[in-house]
Amino acid sequence: MIQQKLELPGIERIRNRFLEMLKDRQYAIAEHALIAWESDELDEINSNLDNARTVLHQIAGTAGSLGFKDLGTQARACEIEIDAHLNGPDADLAICPSPLIFLIDQFVQESEALIAANPQSVNA
Amino acid sequence: MKILAVDDDPIILELLSHFVESMTDHQLVTASCAENALKVMQDHTRRPFDCFLLDIQMPGSDGIALAAQIRTMDSYFDAPILMLTAMSEKQYFDSAFAAGATDYITKPFEVNELQARIGLVERVVESNRGKTRKVFATKALKAEPGKATPPIQLHEPVSIYEVDNVIEFRAMENYIQHLTRNDLFGSTVFAFTIRDIQNFHSAMTPFEFYSMLSDVSEVISDTLGSHQFLMTYAGSGTFLCITESGWSPEPKMLENSINIALSQIELFDNQGQMIEPRLCAGRAERLIWKSDASSVMHAVSIAHMSAEAAAQEYARIQQNFWQIGRLV
Repeated sequence: MIQQKLELPGIERIRNRFLEMLKDRQYAIAEHALIAWESDELDEINSNLDNARTVLHQIAGTAGSLGFKDLGTQARACEIEIDAHLNGPDADLAICPSPLIFLIDQFVQESEALIAANPQSVNA
Repeated sequence: MKILAVDDDPIILELLSHFVESMTDHQLVTASCAENALKVMQDHTRRPFDCFLLDIQMPGSDGIALAAQIRTMDSYFDAPILMLTAMSEKQYFDSAFAAGATDYITKPFEVNELQARIGLVERVVESNRGKTRKVFATKALKAEPGKATPPIQLHEPVSIYEVDNVIEFRAMENYIQHLTRNDLFGSTVFAFTIRDIQNFHSAMTPFEFYSMLSDVSEVISDTLGSHQFLMTYAGSGTFLCITESGWSPEPKMLENSINIALSQIELFDNQGQMIEPRLCAGRAERLIWKSDASSVMHAVSIAHMSAEAAAQEYARIQQNFWQIGRLV
């Protein structure tokens, strides 16, 4: 199936654009996660998690179509965990669960590795 | 086919544009948010869009609200609307269908799936071009001056608009086919058929018939109102309903409640004659253990046919009753 996706002529241009955007997006996700992790204000925690979720949702929606299935799956897993927290019993407590931060951190590392593996795409 | 795609992710829009350009003869216009989409639609009033691809989650007004807004526009009352969605957004599907969505495409896209869906939509657009019609949901049966309602076959599904939870027949088919195994455990299908529908159909003008269907669907919708459900008009006087909330509907009790509600509203035809449509309910079929699409559709068909059989049985009993009277 991935082979078929890559067969779409001209898809390389969109893959490059995705990787370029991933560089900024992973910074944004890391920043939101860090603020949520360090804050003790409920609104600040939840709004930053929600912002990180929005970016993760976008990555999850496209990564698979561009041949980055694992990254997409990981983004979706983070999104689902954030949703579970924001809609769960702890949503009104000023806490940011450490397993969630660990999961987001893994995603950010995966993104960095992908960007590092495609330096020409990102700097093109 | 002219398509409008609305998504806040530029990569999705690029992917869609690229797909449409390289693999189809269609024209794709893009918008990054609902507000932008409405403006684009205004700019294209001379040659409107044939189909919409809408992201569900967008900042500001979301795709569901946009779908509902599109459905209120005369140019787009029956235009196919495909929601672009992740499987994690399953909780939004009911609202999306209720708002007027025809189907959905799961993100991330598979090229061949996208191709197949666009192909299906193209056929729908072609068939819609041949039979443009709109059902006007009205309480009083007033003819629309200057607007002729096209004829309708008795067996034909008719799209009814502006009634809560009532969706197009085609959308219902898509909805049922996409129910996951988990959803099926809490799902039940059931149906109601208007008694003596042939008589109503032959005695009424198309507009009167549309209006009666619309009014009856509104009464059914109001009666089922406190429950989660979707409903469609499947032709031959039959309304097909599905719930996936775990609710176990009791069709006989619902039939009574709906008929009581129908008896409390006054419906008239264009000559001022009172009409009294009444329903018969069929069996409620649970979709549990229906593991494939064909067994699900078979259960739907049983629910559908049992409602029609109940209406025929009612007519037969009525007929026998009068014949007994004659013999005595």
